[in-house]
Amino acid sequence: MLIIFLLTILISALSFAVQGRRRDYAMASSGIFLILTVIYSILRFHSGYTGGIISQETFNIASSIGIVFSTGVSGFSDALLILSAIVIFLSVLITEKGKYGESLYSYILITEAGLFGILLSRDFLFFYIFWEVVLIPVYFIVAQYGGPNKDSVSLKFFVYTHIGSVFLLLSIFTVYTFHYEATHVFTFEMSQLMVNTYFSQIPAFWMYFAMFGFLLAFLVKMPSFPVHSWLPDTYESAPYPGTVILAGGLSIMGGYGLFGILMPVYKSMGTGVMDLLMALGIISLVYFSLSAMMQQSLKRMMAFASAAAMGFVTLSFGAGLVESGYSASLELAGGMFQIIAHGLIMALIFSALFYISRSTGHESTHSLGGIFREAPILSSFLLAGLLASLGLPGLAGFIGEFSILVGVFGAIGWLILIVIFAMIVTASYHIWAAQKSLYGPYNEKLGAIHDADRATTVKLMGMLIVIFVLGVVPNLIYGILITYVGGII
Amino acid sequence: MVNMYWPGWFIFLSPIFGFVLTYVVGRYYRNLSGIIASLAVLGSFIAAVLTFFYVQSNGTIYNSYEWFYNIHAGIYIDHLTLVMALMVSFVSLMIHLFALYYMKDDPNKHIYFAETSLFTAGMLGLVVSSNLVLFFLFWELVGLCSYLLIGFWFFKPNATAAAKKAFIVTRVGDLLFLVGMAILYSSLQGFHGLGSNSPLSIPFLIANAKAIAAYVGPNVLGAVAVLFLAGAAGKSSQFPLHVWIPDAMEGPTTVSALIHAATMVTAGVYLVARVFNIYYYSAPFALYSVVILGAFTALFAGIVGIFVNDIKRILAYSTISQIGYMLAAIGLGGVFGYGGVSFGMFHLVVHAVFKALLFMSAGAILIALMDLRDTRYMGGLWKRMPMTITLLFIGSLALIAFPYTSGYFSKDTIIAASWQYYAHYGTFSSFLPWLFLAIGALLTTLYTFRMFFRTALGKPRSYLAEHAKDPSVFALLPLFVLAIGALGLGAIQSYFYGYIDSSYQMPNIPFYIDIIPMTLMAIGLVITYVLYGTTIWQRFKFAKNPLYRIAKNKFYLDYLFTNIIAERVIVPISAGFTLFENSYNKAVNNVGTSTLKLGDMFRKIQNGVVENYFVVLIIGVSVIFIIVKLLGLM
Repeated sequence: MLIIFLLTILISALSFAVQGRRRDYAMASSGIFLILTVIYSILRFHSGYTGGIISQETFNIASSIGIVFSTGVSGFSDALLILSAIVIFLSVLITEKGKYGESLYSYILITEAGLFGILLSRDFLFFYIFWEVVLIPVYFIVAQYGGPNKDSVSLKFFVYTHIGSVFLLLSIFTVYTFHYEATHVFTFEMSQLMVNTYFSQIPAFWMYFAMFGFLLAFLVKMPSFPVHSWLPDTYESAPYPGTVILAGGLSIMGGYGLFGILMPVYKSMGTGVMDLLMALGIISLVYFSLSAMMQQSLKRMMAFASAAAMGFVTLSFGAGLVESGYSASLELAGGMFQIIAHGLIMALIFSALFYISRSTGHESTHSLGGIFREAPILSSFLLAGLLASLGLPGLAGFIGEFSILVGVFGAIGWLILIVIFAMIVTASYHIWAAQKSLYGPYNEKLGAIHDADRATTVKLMGMLIVIFVLGVVPNLIYGILITYVGGII
Repeated sequence: MVNMYWPGWFIFLSPIFGFVLTYVVGRYYRNLSGIIASLAVLGSFIAAVLTFFYVQSNGTIYNSYEWFYNIHAGIYIDHLTLVMALMVSFVSLMIHLFALYYMKDDPNKHIYFAETSLFTAGMLGLVVSSNLVLFFLFWELVGLCSYLLIGFWFFKPNATAAAKKAFIVTRVGDLLFLVGMAILYSSLQGFHGLGSNSPLSIPFLIANAKAIAAYVGPNVLGAVAVLFLAGAAGKSSQFPLHVWIPDAMEGPTTVSALIHAATMVTAGVYLVARVFNIYYYSAPFALYSVVILGAFTALFAGIVGIFVNDIKRILAYSTISQIGYMLAAIGLGGVFGYGGVSFGMFHLVVHAVFKALLFMSAGAILIALMDLRDTRYMGGLWKRMPMTITLLFIGSLALIAFPYTSGYFSKDTIIAASWQYYAHYGTFSSFLPWLFLAIGALLTTLYTFRMFFRTALGKPRSYLAEHAKDPSVFALLPLFVLAIGALGLGAIQSYFYGYIDSSYQMPNIPFYIDIIPMTLMAIGLVITYVLYGTTIWQRFKFAKNPLYRIAKNKFYLDYLFTNIIAERVIVPISAGFTLFENSYNKAVNNVGTSTLKLGDMFRKIQNGVVENYFVVLIIGVSVIFIIVKLLGLM
């Protein structure tokens, strides 16, 4: 896996040298990364994974102050690796020839390298570096190729998420310093720092400070209420390939932070933090669902839908860790599954929306209407994405939402009805959006529009098949996630 | 692992293959699509028959595999399942055959047949599935297909609105069902009888219901049962979640026939019958809620049905009402044990047959009348389309439980059983079911024959009705088969009851009570003939009558849901949230802009005076300190 990762860095760096055919170059390389990642996962995880981190490698860089580049893959991060490889590949695929400048493809490839770096690093220093690396290309994607207000929006995105990162850095240094104080060893290794035995020895104040920093950074990325303001604007302004990356790729960062980084020290966190997370999860769900309902632009509506779906993840993290027994396992694995499913589904929705807005020139519900008559294939794909997003069984979204919902009762009791209320609202506005934009009498103002051609159908079909297969045979990754959870709780 | 019994799996796999094949082949050869879909459903029927004989000799089938974590997936086939599977596949086959005629000119008929095939697959999958989660998957597949099929004529605004309504209303029920599962799943944690079973496995729940009730407490289990009932009410369109089904009449009539007879509304009843033991062993309020909900809905929908003019909507309300009878029958299980299920299931099967017949005859009428659905403009059709109207007549007789039609055997038993229920408990609350159901018998006759007489007798009241013609005999063949069933199914009554519950007891009540429903029916026939067999009804002027207006407006339930809850509550709340979100977003932007300005200011402060730096540092640290302290306090 390390080799694949180093390749991504190399390839993305080299991409600047390619002139003229950078789209083909990006397409080929991201396709190869996807294949390599899948092959790697099949080889290492198909059987015999027993939890924890595998494929660990360490390189001393400056060991006297603990700077070591160490990598490793857990069951969860492997699933996310595949997800980000798929999403990046898709985002390259849906770009049009010649519409965007060459640099877009380099940015996309750097994003992939950054995401891989985040998921692979097992020490905080490099984790942090890659965390920042991802920000920069996405910032440029929005700033260069974005829609309305791209300048202010991209700046907002950058500053907002950067504030989260600053606290991440502060937290990292906090745990790093106290580790030195306790053991007189400098280390950034997560395997040393993020363990209960050490973590619970940090003085309470500083432990909560570190926790606060971690949580803030992750919740901003998630995004969770109330630190979400960057999200709708950025999603809306970003060019569609960028939105796909944001929704499918970047949204995993917050979830990975919770489940990949913080989960091992959950015992030190105390139930107060869990309650807070559960509350934030539920509030996010309700708040984003209700906000989504009134949106005119489908893109912005789906941005809120994406945020609401991530509310489930926050909720499952908080609830899963206060519960015990099989509910907890189901819940936590469900939360991780939800991250993956959400990434895939949002990638599908935004891609379908991209083609629709390309052929009609519109993306708001009231200026579309009845386009099923003229573009049945595209409409069907959008409908499929919407149905997956509202958690229809048989598609990937259901498995995650079901696990979370079923597991969560033990932790929140009858508050589950609020979650249900949010889900009803979610279903309503999804169906309402479909009805307004896809069905009904055709909006003749749109003139003649093109349906998907064969290539487009294949791309979208590929995504839909992945979502469908994960919905019907979730055990492809669910088993690994359960094993991963079993290794921690 | 246990050896897999393939025909059992084939019951629902066949129409799934049919779905793919119909769509792919149908894209190039439209005319083959209907035949492929029908063959696929025929395949399920044959598989169901094979399974029937296998179960006769080898007993119950239970194949189960791990799906994810402790949720398993597989098939569970016992007598109850088989009854449903045979009924669904047979009735669906008849409807598919009729649809070959009904949909023959539709340009998108390959999509139609692919979707009905999938619809049938969803229902059959739900019937055979061994785990509540898999059950739920198919349950939602049924919901999805109904959404797609109701909105099949997507260019009609009414149809898409109805599809949307159907989806959202049933979704409310589905999610409550999901909450029920959540409670059950969480509470079963630590249950010693669990072993390697999945906590939501149907055979496990049925077999251990008594121990589970003791472990989780009868009230908790009762809550679970009531939540399941809420799911069933959504799917089976029971009060107050019935509002979607009359609107769903906007879809093709064959779809209505599928929804009402075979593939959708029976799912809820089947759910309650399937996990009957949970109801039986939990607190008594669970079963009572089933019986009272069913009986009340039977009455309520009957009342509304009398005031509707659209032929399909009358049939829709009759479905709601008849489903109420089925649920009430199952709810009587407090006295009759599992026998209640057999009463309910028999009515379900019989109803499926005659309701499919009714809908398809109505469909034949609509084709002849160019989709004119208002019974006020029909009339005199018996002379013009004798075959179709005779079929409609047979269906109507079965619906009102005319003696010795199949409906008589299935429905009168339920009403009689509800009297015995009262006799057993002797309280007022146990009297209500009988009262509702018996009045329901009168109402059934009123709305059915109001529709029938207005359609069949008198003079044609529109140009279209004057020129109506019967479709060809071949098109009506499936209807004749169903008509035979509607007349003759009563013959298997006692065999059927024994097949579901080998120790069932027929209700034993005084003769003078037993004839009450029949008398009411006769009265109803006389009333409707006098009023609607003639032209008296045309002189009615009720429009100002307040009671009439309440009933005509369906007791304002649609108004309550759409105009009050959705438009006056949810939408304003949502608008409020959006407003808040926008101002919050703006505030964040302002903070951002003013920070930039502040930056300018700070540039002036940064004059190397260390005290200033120090002040900023202190402020910053104390803010963080406060936040962290608050976190620590929790």
